[in-house]
Amino acid sequence: MQFSGEKDGSFLVLAVGGRMDAMTSKEFEDECSRWLAAGEKRLVIDLSGLEYISSAGLRSILLLAKKLKAQGGDVAFCALSEMVTEIFTVSGFVKMLPVFATRTEALARP
Amino acid sequence: MRKGIAFRLSILVLSAAGLIFALMSGVGYYLAREMLLKNAEDNARLQAQALVQTIESRLAPIPRVPQSLAYELADVRLAEAGVLRRQRQALADNDEIFGTAVAYEPEAGAHSEDEPAVYTFRTPMGPKVSHLGGSRYRYRNMDWYQLPTELKQTIWTEPYFDEGGGDILMTTCSVPFFHGAGAERRVAGVVTADVSLEWLKRLVASVNVLDTGYAYLITRTGTYVTHPAPGVAFNETIFSRAEEFGDTRLRSIGQDMIRGGTGFVPLTSLHSRKPGFLVYAPLPTTGWSLAVFYPKDELLADVGRQALAAAVLSGGGFLLLALVVAGIARSITRPLRRLAGVAHAVAQGDLDAPLPVLRAKDEVSDLSEAFGHMQHALKEHIRDLTTATASRERMESELRIARDIQMGILPKLFPPFPDRSEIDLYASLEPAREVGGDFYDFFLCGKDCFCFLVGDVSGKGVPAAFYMAVAKTLIKALADSACQQSGGAPDPGDILARANEDLAQDNDSCMFVTIFLATLDMRDGQVRYASAGHNPPVLMRKGEAPLLLPSRQDPVAGAMPGMTFETDTLRLAPGDALLLYTDGVTEAMNPAEQFFGDARLLKLAGELAGPSSGLDAKGVCMGLGAAVHDFANGAEQSDDITMLALRYVGADKNQGS
Repeated sequence: MQFSGEKDGSFLVLAVGGRMDAMTSKEFEDECSRWLAAGEKRLVIDLSGLEYISSAGLRSILLLAKKLKAQGGDVAFCALSEMVTEIFTVSGFVKMLPVFATRTEALARP
Repeated sequence: MRKGIAFRLSILVLSAAGLIFALMSGVGYYLAREMLLKNAEDNARLQAQALVQTIESRLAPIPRVPQSLAYELADVRLAEAGVLRRQRQALADNDEIFGTAVAYEPEAGAHSEDEPAVYTFRTPMGPKVSHLGGSRYRYRNMDWYQLPTELKQTIWTEPYFDEGGGDILMTTCSVPFFHGAGAERRVAGVVTADVSLEWLKRLVASVNVLDTGYAYLITRTGTYVTHPAPGVAFNETIFSRAEEFGDTRLRSIGQDMIRGGTGFVPLTSLHSRKPGFLVYAPLPTTGWSLAVFYPKDELLADVGRQALAAAVLSGGGFLLLALVVAGIARSITRPLRRLAGVAHAVAQGDLDAPLPVLRAKDEVSDLSEAFGHMQHALKEHIRDLTTATASRERMESELRIARDIQMGILPKLFPPFPDRSEIDLYASLEPAREVGGDFYDFFLCGKDCFCFLVGDVSGKGVPAAFYMAVAKTLIKALADSACQQSGGAPDPGDILARANEDLAQDNDSCMFVTIFLATLDMRDGQVRYASAGHNPPVLMRKGEAPLLLPSRQDPVAGAMPGMTFETDTLRLAPGDALLLYTDGVTEAMNPAEQFFGDARLLKLAGELAGPSSGLDAKGVCMGLGAAVHDFANGAEQSDDITMLALRYVGADKNQGS
């Protein structure tokens, strides 16, 4: 998986690329842990480069959301591809987590 | 016999050694022969020379006797008495001389018969005198007189047998004496000395030449004086024999001999018919020639013996070498064979097969040691592997047991309520290789409410299995409770909401489960349903195309607390059917990595469960399962394939309300 993070105001925007499945989701968890350890509390995950996500990947996302909530932070997702949008929809993740169409919208939230 | 190292080594070494031996033997023999022949020649010449010396030592002094008398008679006419005296003296002084004569050349004008020769000779009774001459004995024509007077020099006659003296072999040395000087010089007579040659005959005959070698004498004309073959002496000349046997070689040798030549030449003996060498030398005194014959085979006998000895030694050495080589080869191959045997035993499984004990510290013992290390390492490796395999098998068996337990909690009795004819139900779960998280359940809620559900826990393996057991049990408990509280009409959305709350608590692992839960009122076919992130079921109504139930996209259960789930309703007419499934069906992959997909599922559902298909719920599930397998076409099944088919037959008139 490929990651690139940059600060934008109080948000940390993390662009994620590749496939998130049972084997690679650990990389995502480790990457997020690093940012959290650095003190970031407000994350925006840009999933434009994400080709595929499995239930294991959904689990990692859920882990991140819960961890941030426990620390008083939050996470939003943006720029989902069609397939990832479908998965998020069917699994109802769109109802559980904030999902935006574009990065701008995600950054615009309070 | 396999051509092993011992064989190859032996062959090579023995061939090389054999070649070297043969070469050395050949060269050695050749050199020895040449040297021997050279020696033989030298020896032969020496022997011949020695023989000549011996003979000469006896013959050489003889001419001096007649010569001294001839000297006295030169220009002097001695009275007979004086002559006789001198003759007696000569006999007394010289044992060799048998007799001596003085013969006068007749004076000019004198009658030839009148001149006597006076001859003194030995007898057992003492010297005797005889007068030669007269008509009986015309000595002037004889060799002993004629030759010296003609040649005017000392001559030796050809040997002859003396009739008067008992047939002994004799030769006469004749010396002429002269009267006058210068141009007037003329022969006045001849002094002779007769010499017996018996001693010469014996001497030559007794010459020891190897085994069958021999010696002989020839005179100046080539006549044999002595010869090993009987009847040859005096009867033949060397030339007549050469002529008789057609031996031109012998003829030229004879010519050289009478010329006074010396030589050592190869020749095949006419006497013994053996090839050999002839050495010849002249006897200067008489002008005769001595020849000695050396048979080649006897000459070379020594060489032959030597060669034989060498060959025997070589043979013995060769044999010894063969034994040594064989021994060495065996000392190498024996431990190797034994090692091979041990290797076989190890391959058969006897890891403790003992290695051969090797005394020598060489490459073979290195190999044996290395083999021992390998054996040890192998034993350890196998031990580790066995332990690992045992623990893995233990774990696998535990997983199998877990799987069996897991499957055990699913209801498998069809039809579940044989006395209820309102529904035709079948469900199947075909697990993937690993323990999984799919489940289904169905139960009665009160008298007329039939509850059914399908679920899919996220992930695979033991955690999913645990979660599955918890989720199924929880939902059943909640449904039963809801059933009682609602008096037989539970709300699926409500049940899911409560399940979600319970599952989302203490959910550190963030696992979740998708569920489709529905209730059917068997009196009128009303269905109430809710879905937590699960695949929408297929609805098959009579006369209509199958379709997927619209999804509200409610979230998966157990992820986050506080979620709400909507309940929807529909009414089934008799003959309508619902097909529930998990993503193990739609996401089944074939070798070309294509998904089974919703479209294919819908099409198949229409064919299998359509009212005209005539298939019951079981037939639908079987058919769908077969279709999924056909599609997969050998590709590995990665997820549980779960399905539940429910057909509403219609209200049972017998059931009261």
